[in-house]
Amino acid sequence: MFGRGLLKGLYTTVKHGVMTYFKGYKHPFLKRYFTEGPAPRLEPEGVGLFTLQYPEEKYAMFPRFRGALMHLRDPETGQPRCTACGACALACPHGVIEVIAEGKGKERKLVDYRYNLGRCVFCRLCVESCPYGAIEMSHEYELATYENKMVLHLEDLLKIGDRSGVTEQGWAWK
Amino acid sequence: MMDLENFLPFLGEIVARWLKGFLPVWLVDVIMMVVVGLLIILLMVVVVMALTLLERKILGRLQDRLGPNRVGPYGLIQPIADVLKLLVKEDIIPEKADKLLHFLAPVIIVVPAFMVWAVIPFGKKLVAADLNIAVLYVIALGSVTSIAILMAGWGSGNKYALLGGFRAVAQLFSYEVPMALAILSVVMAAGSMSLQKIVEAQSPLPFVLLQPVAFLIYFICGVAETNRSPFDLPEAESEIIAGYHIEYSGVKWAMFFLAEYINTFAISAMVVTLFLGGWKGPVLPSYIWFFIKVAIMVYVFFWFRATFPRLRIDQLLNFSWKFLVPLAMANLLVTGLVVKLDLGYWGKASAYWAGNILAGGLALYLLGRFTPKKALA
Repeated sequence: MFGRGLLKGLYTTVKHGVMTYFKGYKHPFLKRYFTEGPAPRLEPEGVGLFTLQYPEEKYAMFPRFRGALMHLRDPETGQPRCTACGACALACPHGVIEVIAEGKGKERKLVDYRYNLGRCVFCRLCVESCPYGAIEMSHEYELATYENKMVLHLEDLLKIGDRSGVTEQGWAWK
Repeated sequence: MMDLENFLPFLGEIVARWLKGFLPVWLVDVIMMVVVGLLIILLMVVVVMALTLLERKILGRLQDRLGPNRVGPYGLIQPIADVLKLLVKEDIIPEKADKLLHFLAPVIIVVPAFMVWAVIPFGKKLVAADLNIAVLYVIALGSVTSIAILMAGWGSGNKYALLGGFRAVAQLFSYEVPMALAILSVVMAAGSMSLQKIVEAQSPLPFVLLQPVAFLIYFICGVAETNRSPFDLPEAESEIIAGYHIEYSGVKWAMFFLAEYINTFAISAMVVTLFLGGWKGPVLPSYIWFFIKVAIMVYVFFWFRATFPRLRIDQLLNFSWKFLVPLAMANLLVTGLVVKLDLGYWGKASAYWAGNILAGGLALYLLGRFTPKKALA
């Protein structure tokens, strides 16, 4: 009969509307974080909420995502692994990295590590050039700031590394 | 326990008596009228604020989203934020605009939207003016809207606005005819044009059971009258940007918005009054029943918007003139015949029902049988 398609359409939309209360919205008061990776809609005919409430809920990035640079710590001593050799600064195509060190030879020590986020193209050449496995790309992607603070220093980079929980360079490439 | 049913009329009575102690009678009448009018306007503004949020929430749910949830808990303060934004926005008048028409259109569109509420019965004793020609009054006010829309379209000096205005007028005129015919069959069955009398005539059975075809025709025409999806051609975003209110901003745009939502609510209230038994219902006070039924009808409006794609202008006009008008005529014929027959209440009820089902089924069959496939695609 004429008009059956209209009723079918009405049924479809109301089904979707009702199912948003039952599927995909498990914690009405809690924040959800996806840690397993991107959670796309699994089936094309699927029902239930599938939107992400962005600042509260975030997708985990895929393992090889290249975000801001981070410094790694030696798990035994808790000190940065960086020896201030300067290989990363040489490898960088944009002069993003500036290594500041003091002392000569065996006494050479890292003082500061300036990483200019505003010019970085996230190519990961610095990480590949590092002979000590001291740096790695993090999963941080919310890089906008209110002030002009695009240059990150050693403590910032270490903080990112601590936050990421990564202890070993190239963990995602194995 | 306090009598909830008679509480508001009782309050009005007390205030009127108190005022009559030191004021002349005519002044008291005027004061009571103004107060009731202001109360209705206030109620409508609050309802519109609630409707804007509800529409976005319900549409979101029907589209697998949450809807607004950033301003306040669950987005409950969103309408207040919207209103503030609209009030402080710059009021832009285009250089090429016809200034007078451009200014008058938002005023004219919002006045009839409020005026409809004078005759709609909210409850057993809650009606501002129980006119004996209330149905005619509602139809007449609905026509004023098209003048305001044409004024807005012409006065803006914008081709999209003018196109939207033309579309709106064609649509409103086309859909007023079947709407009036559908109401007419209800009026004939009830034997009165007063909305209170029509409500009282719907006992024990509401007219939706006696006149299902008239109900469907009236509801479809109501959706078209309020320019809501799927009949939102006058303001089709993807074709003519925003239609007749494209050149409006700030408070003037808010007036169009207000009128649209009040009209949506008014059409829902008219459907409830004419077909769903108005304020009738067991246990709860009558006005609560009224608002429950209206809320359900408003939900159906939003549901339609989430479901149906927009019609083309020729499909729209064909649907009205070639389908709704003949069907409404046939329904009117059936109703007229049954009114004249001497059958008693239940006999008449079953005759209405059978006639409606027959006319509606035949019309749907003919539409499916003889509509060229090209016209449907």
